[in-house]
Amino acid sequence: MRAALLLLATASVWAAELRLLPEHVRVDPFGEVIEADRGGTVAGSALKLESARAAYVSCRVLVQIPEGGGYRVVVSSPLESELYREWFHREASGKRYFPDALIPLAAGGSGQMPDAENRIPGQSTQSYWLDVWIPAEAKPGRHVVEVSLESSTGRRRAEVEIMVLEAIVPGKDPLVIDHNSYGTGWFQAQYPQLAAREGDKFYLGDSFFSLIHAYHRVFDEHRGTYHQLGYGHGGKVGPEFAPQLTGSGRNRRVADWTLYDKHYGPLLDGSAFAATRRGARPIPFVYLPVNPEWPASFLWWGEPGYETEFVRVVGEMEAHFRAKGWTNTRFELFFNHKKRYKAFPWDGDETRFPHDFPFLAEYRRLLDKAVPAGTPVKFVYRTDVSWQMERQFREQAGVFDFWVCGGGMFGWYAEQLPELKRRGHVVWLYGGTPGVDKPASHITLELMRAWMLGADGFVRWQTVMPGADPWFRFGLGGETLVYPGDRFGRAEPLASIRLKLQRNAMQDLALLDALQPRQGGQTLRAEAAKRYNQTAVVDWRSPRPAMAATSPDTWTNADIDDALPKDARFDERLDAAAWSRVRAYAFSLAKEARP
Amino acid sequence: MTPLLLFLLALPPGLEEVARTGSIMVDGDVAGRIQTARSAAAMAKPDPRDKWADADNYDVDAPAYIATKKTLMRLARLCPVNCDVNLWLPSPRGAGRVQIVIRNVNEMSQFWTWGALDQETPPEMKEVLATGARKMVTKRPGMVSALAPVRNSLGDIVGLIEVVAREGSAPQENVF
Repeated sequence: MRAALLLLATASVWAAELRLLPEHVRVDPFGEVIEADRGGTVAGSALKLESARAAYVSCRVLVQIPEGGGYRVVVSSPLESELYREWFHREASGKRYFPDALIPLAAGGSGQMPDAENRIPGQSTQSYWLDVWIPAEAKPGRHVVEVSLESSTGRRRAEVEIMVLEAIVPGKDPLVIDHNSYGTGWFQAQYPQLAAREGDKFYLGDSFFSLIHAYHRVFDEHRGTYHQLGYGHGGKVGPEFAPQLTGSGRNRRVADWTLYDKHYGPLLDGSAFAATRRGARPIPFVYLPVNPEWPASFLWWGEPGYETEFVRVVGEMEAHFRAKGWTNTRFELFFNHKKRYKAFPWDGDETRFPHDFPFLAEYRRLLDKAVPAGTPVKFVYRTDVSWQMERQFREQAGVFDFWVCGGGMFGWYAEQLPELKRRGHVVWLYGGTPGVDKPASHITLELMRAWMLGADGFVRWQTVMPGADPWFRFGLGGETLVYPGDRFGRAEPLASIRLKLQRNAMQDLALLDALQPRQGGQTLRAEAAKRYNQTAVVDWRSPRPAMAATSPDTWTNADIDDALPKDARFDERLDAAAWSRVRAYAFSLAKEARP
Repeated sequence: MTPLLLFLLALPPGLEEVARTGSIMVDGDVAGRIQTARSAAAMAKPDPRDKWADADNYDVDAPAYIATKKTLMRLARLCPVNCDVNLWLPSPRGAGRVQIVIRNVNEMSQFWTWGALDQETPPEMKEVLATGARKMVTKRPGMVSALAPVRNSLGDIVGLIEVVAREGSAPQENVF
């Protein structure tokens, strides 16, 4: 009897296991749920999920083989599915591992435990992300996706039951989630194999433009947008971001559109997205290369030559865009420079002092002079505001029509949103990206905030910088949501777990928002907030502090920090499962709304 | 030294000649009025509660800045190759520190620590500030700078210019 028990125990210890977890529960390479995501969810061999149609539904597949060895995972699905191996990033301190980068596999994949590439001593667990696409025409009802594991110890099987609802997720999102970046100078470092293959032809060659388009595609496929600023703080413009110019003064003009059109043509006519599930659609927003040094030389600032150069070239741009039919994208005049970087005498970004306002206003005058009234090309004048936000809302109402507002501070002035909307302005919030050490739900916080406040979008200021060695000396990913695929032989970015969590939340938000006519916007927001983090709508705004009545010139960052409310429900008490409760709410309403 | 660097050094009017011209053309009195007194005070007295206070309060007198920058831009047009002409002045923090005050389109410099408001004065700059003699510097691979003093109406050396060029400058560099 004792021998039999021992054998049983041994078999239990050494057997390969196949288990399933919801999308918001991540595990480490030893099978433990990472600390941030702990909360009682237990992995099992069966998982029930719900999904609306025209949407992805996702979960995590765990392969556990403590004794090590080869194995094969196979997904059998009546619906289209995609399986990704989760890379375990070792943090720079070397103490913890976090899964984030997703390496695409075929419907099934062979593996080895420990994984030779990931190089984790004692690895017993490999996790996979499973995406199942529910097309709009899928039959509502029960669908079963079977996952099987074959290893030397036998075969294991797990089942994902997906209850497909009648509801269809709208293609249009209630807000834009934007992913910002700067230039392309980082491509070479992140894609060394591709750059070596292409040699001197890498920059401005076909693979270079394909790579740019691949970045747009990965964010678009995850219900987001992508921005690449094409000029530096001193006004240097990358040749792929602007038409080539010639001449000076009254002879200034566009000489060549070749590189610009190669870069932007497929993005502005939408063909870069033709092969995606979302289909060919022009990008909704794009930076113009305009800055104080382009297209007019700053040497002529304040003189007739500046206006002549600016108006001539921007006018040519409008004509080119119109001729190409690029009329669905908003072209953004935006200044990113700051005085502290010593290249220009006024702040374009986060303007600190009111005496800089006239510089900003002058470009409105120039833009209006360059662009013919009634043009179908959409030019917008964007500013990213913080210190002087309230004053600029008021005093520069006729200057800007696209406001990107510091997320925390905007809460003080959110009552001005209806007025900005009444003017027809676009209002986004901006902020950062939570690192992988935060609970899984934290990637949804800012899109929830933007939706709660009624903003049109949220921009993450930097989303493509994973650090010098994201694989083995990881800085926790606060400046990235994608990873270079070069290491895996792919000339494209790899999506991350956080990007997929964000996409799935955007789907739910689109569904929820579409229910507004039936439920009422306030009710929807109140109920969603309650489920998300036990808050009320009012908690998403910050009380206007007394210092808001004083001059922002005198504020310090410490003052601002002191004036922002500290509420653990938006931080350490925001649990990994927070978004899953909002999703359940959206689905419950969608079921009630059946015709 | 590479052939291109030798070329840069030798081609008339070489960078040193541009620097010599800059020494005459850049007005040290105007340059001294570029940083506002308020901004200088914020740099000189750090705020223990706000490590960004110096940068957030960095401010310039626009007319003085623009006049000087235009002079630097014109000087850059004298260079035989693509170059920048930067202005360096003593830092309000004193203690042998120096700050770049005006940069230009290519964002080239052999000395600037990216993003720094000010920094320790490099030995090459100390020499120029102390002696008033021009100096050629090839410190960073592929880069060459000509340093030259900037004087005010009293004849005092109040700063210096850096005329800088580099070989193999990538078009995508400093576009961020």
